[in-house]
Amino acid sequence: MLNIPSLERRWLKYKIKSYFPHILFSLIIVTLMIAITIFINLKDFNKQASSTLVKQKPTNIVIQTKDINTEIILEPSMQFIETMTSTINQTPTPSVSVPVASPKKVPIIQKTIQISNPVKMVQNVMTPPPLISPTIKSNSQPSSIKRDTAAFDIHEIEDRFKNNSNPHLGLYIARYHYDHGNYNEAYNYALKTNTINNTIEESWLIFAKSMVKLGKTDQAKKTLQLYITQSNSDAARNLLDSFEKNESK
Amino acid sequence: MEHSLFSKPKELFIDIVNPRDYVQIDSVSHMYQNLKSSVQKPLKMILLYGRPGTGKSMLLHKLHHDLSKHQKVFMVDIPIIDENDFLRVLAQKIYGYVNREAITLTTFLELASAVNYPQTPIVLLDEAQLYSSALMEKIRLISDARALKFVITLHKTDDEDIIAKEHFQTRIWESIELQNASPEELKIYIQKKLLKSNCFDVANMINDKNIKIISRLTKGNYRDANKLMFSLFSLYAWFEEHHPSKINYNSLKPKYIEMAAIHTGLIHA
Repeated sequence: MLNIPSLERRWLKYKIKSYFPHILFSLIIVTLMIAITIFINLKDFNKQASSTLVKQKPTNIVIQTKDINTEIILEPSMQFIETMTSTINQTPTPSVSVPVASPKKVPIIQKTIQISNPVKMVQNVMTPPPLISPTIKSNSQPSSIKRDTAAFDIHEIEDRFKNNSNPHLGLYIARYHYDHGNYNEAYNYALKTNTINNTIEESWLIFAKSMVKLGKTDQAKKTLQLYITQSNSDAARNLLDSFEKNESK
Repeated sequence: MEHSLFSKPKELFIDIVNPRDYVQIDSVSHMYQNLKSSVQKPLKMILLYGRPGTGKSMLLHKLHHDLSKHQKVFMVDIPIIDENDFLRVLAQKIYGYVNREAITLTTFLELASAVNYPQTPIVLLDEAQLYSSALMEKIRLISDARALKFVITLHKTDDEDIIAKEHFQTRIWESIELQNASPEELKIYIQKKLLKSNCFDVANMINDKNIKIISRLTKGNYRDANKLMFSLFSLYAWFEEHHPSKINYNSLKPKYIEMAAIHTGLIHA
């Protein structure tokens, strides 16, 4: 005699048993997939974290002074500027000058040093706006420290000009040497500049003026006349007139 | 219950070997024709072997049923293990020699030579693997003397194969192996059995998917298939009586087939 309810229960057990390997296999596959996904995500997260760490590194600059043995953590740029500004506004107090790790290419003092002897050339220096040094006193007296780094700068610019033959650099160098009375150099650089680009008016003028200073007035006049015929430059004409007036005197 | 659609099919699959229920399947039919023609040849012994449930007994019964109309055939479906009893029963059934005492092999051979049949009598031995080696040796001697022709069936298992090799291999002139049914053969077997008894509705319920399950569960064993179908139709009869709404008359439910398999022990749950 059949016992149907019991048979149905046994059948249910049998089905669960028969499906168990499939369920187990599916579970293993799903678990593996989840694990792989988590592993990949974790890898990406670690990469991101390491890259942010690399980016964050420069924000915390640790400067260790040898004598004091204390660590001063400075936030660069803005904090630095704020500190400088506050130092300027304060009354002169014995200030502790901390050697600050400043960005490499920021020329620090050269412009302020020459306050006592202002030179026009300063306007054309291709450097960021001048920063006030923490050593500047509020009584606006010219700094006693004088560092002539201009020579170094002009050599650097000359090197750059050699490398890239930029006519504007050539003009700058020619102007610099003319202003400093190095007329030979001024002549040479003006000539080089004109060879690279013969449409720069100021270069021609410096070239002509240098020749006059070197005693080659006639050659200077000829050059100017030639330039005037090509460019119809008023400045060149005025210069030529001035040469002629000086000559007549 | 009497008028249940499934009660008649259920009875069809009761596991009884009856030559009248013999279902003709191409492969089995071919085997049977081979067997029949082998019997007509002057062979001493014919071996019919195969795995359990491949239809050996049914084939032997069918052979007995068919041959007994024309010649002397004796069917030993329940093995006679005792040697003396074996010879005594054979002498009685074939030669009509009644003796309550044991008969020696010599006496039996003398008896056989004394009685003349137009055709050599045939003895059909089912489940021959149950006979002892000594008895099998006597059977061989009787067949060598051409007193009797033997058709014997053997289960083909590893052990029984050894017996077959030892006792019969060199002496048998014909051996026929029966195979388990393929799904197609099983389908033909079940449907023919149902259609033979006009159970058209139930026969139509059996589709290929059902047959696949039945074949997988029974491994093509006819005996197991009979048992499974019997349980299945018993189950359907029960549902028809108690929960007719659960029966789908278009096809057999795989769940019920599996439940029947659990009941018959084909599935261990």
